Amino acid sequence: MKIFLMTTVFFLTFLQSNAQEIRFDLGYNYLSAPEWDNAIQTYNFSRPFLENNQPLLMHGLSTSGSYLFRSSSRMSHGVGLSYSYFRSAVKNKNLDVSLNLSLIKMSYILHLKTSKKEPKCYFDLVVSSVAAGLFRSVEPYSPDDSEARAFGIGGEVAVKAGYIILLNGQTKLSPFISLGYVPYFFSPDAEASLNQTKGLTSRRGTNMLTAQIGLAMSTSKESTR
Amino acid sequence: MKRRKFVRNSTLFSMGGLLIPGVFMSSCKEDTLFPSVDFQGKVLIIGAGVAGLYAGYLLKENGINFQILEASSNHGGRVGKLSTFADFPIDLGAQWLHGNNNILGDLIKKSKTKTSLDDSALQYWFNGELVTKLPQDINIFEGDDLPDVSFQDYATQKGFTEEYKYVVETIAGDQGASASRLSVLNNNLEEENWSSGEEDYKFEETFFDLIDSQIASKIKDEMLLDTVVDKIDYSQSVIVVTDKKGNRYEVDKVIITVPITILKDGDINFVPVLPSNKINAFSKIGMDAGMKVFLKFDSKFYDQNISGGRVSAAYADDSVGKLGADHVLLAFVMGDQAEVLTGLGNDEAITSALLEELDTMYEGQATATFISSHVENWTTNPFVRGAYSYIPVGIGDARKVAAESIEDKIYFAGEAMNVNGHHQTVHGAAETGYREVINILNSVKK
Repeated sequence: MKIFLMTTVFFLTFLQSNAQEIRFDLGYNYLSAPEWDNAIQTYNFSRPFLENNQPLLMHGLSTSGSYLFRSSSRMSHGVGLSYSYFRSAVKNKNLDVSLNLSLIKMSYILHLKTSKKEPKCYFDLVVSSVAAGLFRSVEPYSPDDSEARAFGIGGEVAVKAGYIILLNGQTKLSPFISLGYVPYFFSPDAEASLNQTKGLTSRRGTNMLTAQIGLAMSTSKESTR
Repeated sequence: MKRRKFVRNSTLFSMGGLLIPGVFMSSCKEDTLFPSVDFQGKVLIIGAGVAGLYAGYLLKENGINFQILEASSNHGGRVGKLSTFADFPIDLGAQWLHGNNNILGDLIKKSKTKTSLDDSALQYWFNGELVTKLPQDINIFEGDDLPDVSFQDYATQKGFTEEYKYVVETIAGDQGASASRLSVLNNNLEEENWSSGEEDYKFEETFFDLIDSQIASKIKDEMLLDTVVDKIDYSQSVIVVTDKKGNRYEVDKVIITVPITILKDGDINFVPVLPSNKINAFSKIGMDAGMKVFLKFDSKFYDQNISGGRVSAAYADDSVGKLGADHVLLAFVMGDQAEVLTGLGNDEAITSALLEELDTMYEGQATATFISSHVENWTTNPFVRGAYSYIPVGIGDARKVAAESIEDKIYFAGEAMNVNGHHQTVHGAAETGYREVINILNSVKK
């Protein structure tokens, strides 16, 4: 544990010493995945014996960390890692169902500030590889139940815009919005979790649109003042 | 001060922004396929098996006018129940729920229907003795680069000798087929779509009770039993269906859910004649002979599962998972073996053949403890004529072609029309039932 803590402190110090900026985001995430929506809609339509509809998988929370390298210009680049969690849960008499989706993105970021000194806004172009795990869980649960889970991969292109509010010389707060698009997310077993079938409602993958709004806290080594 | 105010406002805006888009965007998307259904036409469902019943159930729930015509005197199709044979009810047809990650798994939980995991132990009848393990692992029918040959031929290619013939027959029998006809390649391809789960579940009551209480009971008024369809004339905008008694039914859509044998044998006359690719597709889908023979004994001398018999490749203790004291052994006879037993001509002869085999396995205990039998021969049932569909060598995309609708008028459902890996199963039949209702509603949405 001691070694781990020391390694972490050393690593963060190293990152800080080489970074122009380290940023942490927290935000609300909206997801639109048409093939998955269709599978859930089919699930709801085909099961009139359930009192309540399964909500679409569309609302989530995400958090991310990014690391921007030093740059002498308005433009810099960096890497990021983010985690998003979406949940769709419904209660019915004798059968509660929840769908849990975890998305992990590893990103390359092109970062552009509106000016080198005292920038008001920034824009990111983010290219990410996306991995996901989708799990269906049922209550009451029985250990004998068949499992329903799916994994998938894809690539995302996103743009992000943020407004910079200086809290002090090195720390900034940024409300931001971002919009991302995954042209094809390969997840052949997702329908098995969403509609308990495979190939009946959807293809083996889906496109995805993500929108995010949130707050970023960042710290840079150099004062922007 | 100016900045402080801005920071405060921005923070409030952002926090509010976390909530507002969700509410706004939720209103853009519906969580059901058809928020409002406005179809004034009438749908006729042919066959009151699970596919037909489920289609009817969904139509009723959506306020659509429909009627079900059933050729036999009972609903349920190949799901049936016999209460008088033992001190627990037995499943005459479909008996196991294969995996519970499926629509019927949900229905079972919802209705609190009692099921149990069937993890019965398996014994092989091999080289004249019962063994728990085979000398060679015969798990060869899955993987890549499989050829489109039969299970039996593939086993031979892989070096399995004649001794394994009836073990292979058991594996194929699970698929309702003779090992000499079931395709290794295509069966494997369809298995890739299987998403239901690997476990088998048995009902404390029967599969029929679930279907009857949860689905059929809701639409009994719309069922017409003992009504055999003779002709479907879909040449005009209104479809005219005629039964063998001469009654006419004028409807807008027809969902055909009869077993594939009925379509293959041309029992229903279509006007105009069905497209040739459709008829070819029907002919390529396999459905072999099948029967279930229940043997009641006054003591239990047998193992839970016996595989590899020459008369019946599979036996299973039917009492497993049931509340009762009677000892009932099920002979699950498929394919060539079912044809041979059917050829014996009567139930007594069939029972004797099975008892003789069991006597060989268990040193005469079968005959000594035998009480009675019930033979449910699905092959001789005039409205079924077999067990369930399977994937023969050379099937290609026949199942997909067979399941396609014709001119947005005639729709096909039933386990044989499941193209999503769940053919041969009850939940697969239910899936095709709702699939075709969705197809009908999509067609009128255009």
